[in-house]
Amino acid sequence: MVTMSVAADNNELEVVLEQLKAAAAEVETLQSTFVQEKNLEMFEQQLLSSGRMLYVQPDQLRWELLSPVASGFVLQGDQGVRWNGVSQQRQRFSISVDPLMGVVAQQLLAWARVDLDWLRARYHIKILTTEPVVLELTPIDPGEAEFIAHIQVTFDLVQDYVSDVLVLEHSGDSTRLRFGDVRSNDSIAPGAFEPPEF
Amino acid sequence: MHFFSNCYNRLQGRRGWLLLVLLALLVLSGWNLSRLDIEDTIVAMLPDGESQVARDFELLQQSPFARKVVIHLRADSTAAVPLLNATTAQLREALPEPWFVDPLSGPVQIHPQRLLNDLLESLPLLLDEGDLAQLEQRLDDEGVELTLAENLSELLQPQGIFVRERIRRDPFSLYLAALDKLRSVNPLPEVRIEGRFFVSHDGLSRMILADTPVVITDADGAKQLLDAFEQARQSLPAGISAELISGHAYTLANAEVIQSDMRTLLLVSGGGLLLLFVLLIGKLRAVPVLLLPFFSVAAALLVVSLFANQVSGITIGFGAVVLGITIDFALHVYFALARRGSERPEMLRLVARPVVFGGLTTLAAFSVLAFSDLPGQRQLGLFAGAGIVAAVLLALLVLPHFIPRTAAVVPGVRLNGKRSLLVRFPAVRYGVIGLWAALCGTSLLMLPQLSFNGELRQLGYLPDQLQQAEKSLNQAWGDVRGRAMIVVSASDLEQLLRHNEQVWQVLGDQQLQSEAVSLAPLLLSERTRQQRIANWQQFWQQHQAPTAERLADLGTGYGFSSRAFAPFFDHLEQIPAPTDLTALESWGLGELVHALLQEDENGYRLITLLPDRPEQIAALLQPDVLPAGTVLVSQGVFADQLAQEIVADFYQFMSFAGLAVVLLLGMLFRRVTDVVVALLPALTGLLVLLGGMAWLGLELNLFNVIASLLIIGLGVDYGIFMVCHGQSKEDLASVRAVLVSGLSTLIGFGALTLAQHPALFSIGLTLLLGISAAMPTAILVLPALRRQQQ
Repeated sequence: MVTMSVAADNNELEVVLEQLKAAAAEVETLQSTFVQEKNLEMFEQQLLSSGRMLYVQPDQLRWELLSPVASGFVLQGDQGVRWNGVSQQRQRFSISVDPLMGVVAQQLLAWARVDLDWLRARYHIKILTTEPVVLELTPIDPGEAEFIAHIQVTFDLVQDYVSDVLVLEHSGDSTRLRFGDVRSNDSIAPGAFEPPEF
Repeated sequence: MHFFSNCYNRLQGRRGWLLLVLLALLVLSGWNLSRLDIEDTIVAMLPDGESQVARDFELLQQSPFARKVVIHLRADSTAAVPLLNATTAQLREALPEPWFVDPLSGPVQIHPQRLLNDLLESLPLLLDEGDLAQLEQRLDDEGVELTLAENLSELLQPQGIFVRERIRRDPFSLYLAALDKLRSVNPLPEVRIEGRFFVSHDGLSRMILADTPVVITDADGAKQLLDAFEQARQSLPAGISAELISGHAYTLANAEVIQSDMRTLLLVSGGGLLLLFVLLIGKLRAVPVLLLPFFSVAAALLVVSLFANQVSGITIGFGAVVLGITIDFALHVYFALARRGSERPEMLRLVARPVVFGGLTTLAAFSVLAFSDLPGQRQLGLFAGAGIVAAVLLALLVLPHFIPRTAAVVPGVRLNGKRSLLVRFPAVRYGVIGLWAALCGTSLLMLPQLSFNGELRQLGYLPDQLQQAEKSLNQAWGDVRGRAMIVVSASDLEQLLRHNEQVWQVLGDQQLQSEAVSLAPLLLSERTRQQRIANWQQFWQQHQAPTAERLADLGTGYGFSSRAFAPFFDHLEQIPAPTDLTALESWGLGELVHALLQEDENGYRLITLLPDRPEQIAALLQPDVLPAGTVLVSQGVFADQLAQEIVADFYQFMSFAGLAVVLLLGMLFRRVTDVVVALLPALTGLLVLLGGMAWLGLELNLFNVIASLLIIGLGVDYGIFMVCHGQSKEDLASVRAVLVSGLSTLIGFGALTLAQHPALFSIGLTLLLGISAAMPTAILVLPALRRQQQ
């Protein structure tokens, strides 16, 4: 019975993932705003921040916090620039040289384009619900698993894009990202992948 | 010289015994050669003992990259870059043992979080006074506020999950200063790390470093190593090339080019000498003359082996070439005896005088090598000396018994014809003297342009392909193989580390720390450890309370809890983790540490690498700049020192050889005019050699210096024979003998100018220029001058 149940789950997961992949294949550009809620032990209260995200397939990404502090990064292929509005500094990076930025950027890109191969290589994926689709991912990479217990990803019921991400850490800290105003295949303004001037 | 005529009479009819002696000589020499240890490195041609050059050469061999095999992979365009990492890994796996040991295409895998934790645990040791002074400036209200804002900003970013614990433990990002210390041990200045690969600054190159058990000077081993590499690189995809750069490639290229040169030279010089022999002697009975140099070499080998267990290959090779000139003694005896077969003892007595003195002057010229700082040259001096003595004795005691008694007058150029030409046409005489004077004058004018080159690499064959490969390596990675070294030595580790820290301080004063590779920032002496801990404790005794208060007060404004940075303050009192050898090994620096820190029976040695730029090296070499007990070794300085030694040797050899030759000539002729005339061929030869090299834009090197002694030896021999010939009532056939011996030298040695190998070419050119001037001076200028005197 247990074997049959696992097999059924796997089939369901495959179907869901293929649907998500098919939907993502239609996406040339993706832009959205987001609100981030962080519950960290080292802060007295929940940290609220907001920002926006831009993606142009296959590998251009802008991730930007607009409040309470301006910071973020743009990535084009392997190369990127990150900035910090507090220190008024910009810094070039390469995802192949900076492993931390590499993991972060690849993670965001993988979700934007629903890169199933990459995700399967890095996480054990489990489907929690199908309507809406909620996946639970447990890191395989020991470096990542050291920090993250699991990630819950919720997809929009209608449009098959990621609407909510919850990252739970072993320490009990958590981070939730809620995406809104999601627009796919809209035109992207020229210079959208240029870092801000200080 | 009656001794030789008496010996001739006594040994007459005992050719069998003489043959037996010769055979015994050959057998003994062959047996000795088989048990001799022949050293085939250039070391023998470097000064030994306590000389600075010898010490520097030995230290240069200890450079971390000197004994490594470097494989440079390069994509010819960005299109091939995606394949580079996989190709590098594939080639690394394909490098076969035992030729390649522990091939490495990137840094050892290090757990970044563990490394970060270790660095944080060792902060009190890794941060120096300068770092603490910088930190102090960031501990006021403004600095703390900025720190908090930056930390908050980072925590809000996606990567915040991974850096949160680090921020709690190290809110002021002191780990960056600690990481900066690790950069001081990066031996590849232009490298960046991608995954597990060394990547060049332009992204088009990868590198594999490997050890090999093959000694750099082992040509056979080098061939097998390079064949194994050739096999491994067969599977490279289009658009990616791989080159192996190491001393082995040069060794093999040199061995192959010498072998190829030898085939050409044996053919050319052998054919030329045979032709000369047939044209100018043309008799089968003169074959013993040709054999004399072989017996001279056999005798020389025997003598050298009595004094040394190990003989330099250069001594044997070059010595055998040198002893080729001993055929001259045999030629003089042959021509003198061949003309008057019936008066052989008398002719032998007459020819013995110039032969013995010719031999003595050549011996004197080469005996100066005994005073050389170069062990190979001293051995060569012994070898040449023994061979020359043997050749004179064989020419005067043995050879006459193997020249058939029925010999008739040798046909050929008529000497009297030449003499009469000079008598009948004074203009010819003046023309000869005028041409000679013009040649000498021009050479003299060219002399100031002559320079000396001590660059060891220039003595070897440097194929274009290898030079190109090395150039490409340097362009991609910086000059990884040609850096200068500061070497600190001490009998105990603590002393060593203290000296090394002083060196690091000097490099800081000279603004060189950022380009240097040193263990000083990481591997601390106990004294510095204690000092750093005391500084750290003192610093935080002063700053801990106000900093904690500021972080708490100002942190509230950013939402930080009062315990947010507790881990940082909890660790301030802890005893720091040592940054010792074990720690450095765990950080993936083991191989590099062991390459820089060496231990032997005399104690410890620690190497610091820095760019080999002349102006900076010169500044460091100023008195009292570097602490006592340290040595700065630079390939540039080394070449200069070697050049100075060569120049000093050259002047010393020329002075001693000149003095000895003049004394011997004084004993022989007892007239200043004759001595001067006898010296003219040698002096002209040397002058034209040096002037000619300057005119051709060539530099004097180690081999020219030794070969120039041959010019003295041969030139003085020509002078002695011509002066003796002029003084004698009998015709000693000296013009003919000098002509044949001069031409044979020109053919034998001149053929070396066809060689691709620079050392062989240098010897050939030296002899070609020198003998081309010395021989005509002897047979044309000397008779012309004599006519003028008369």
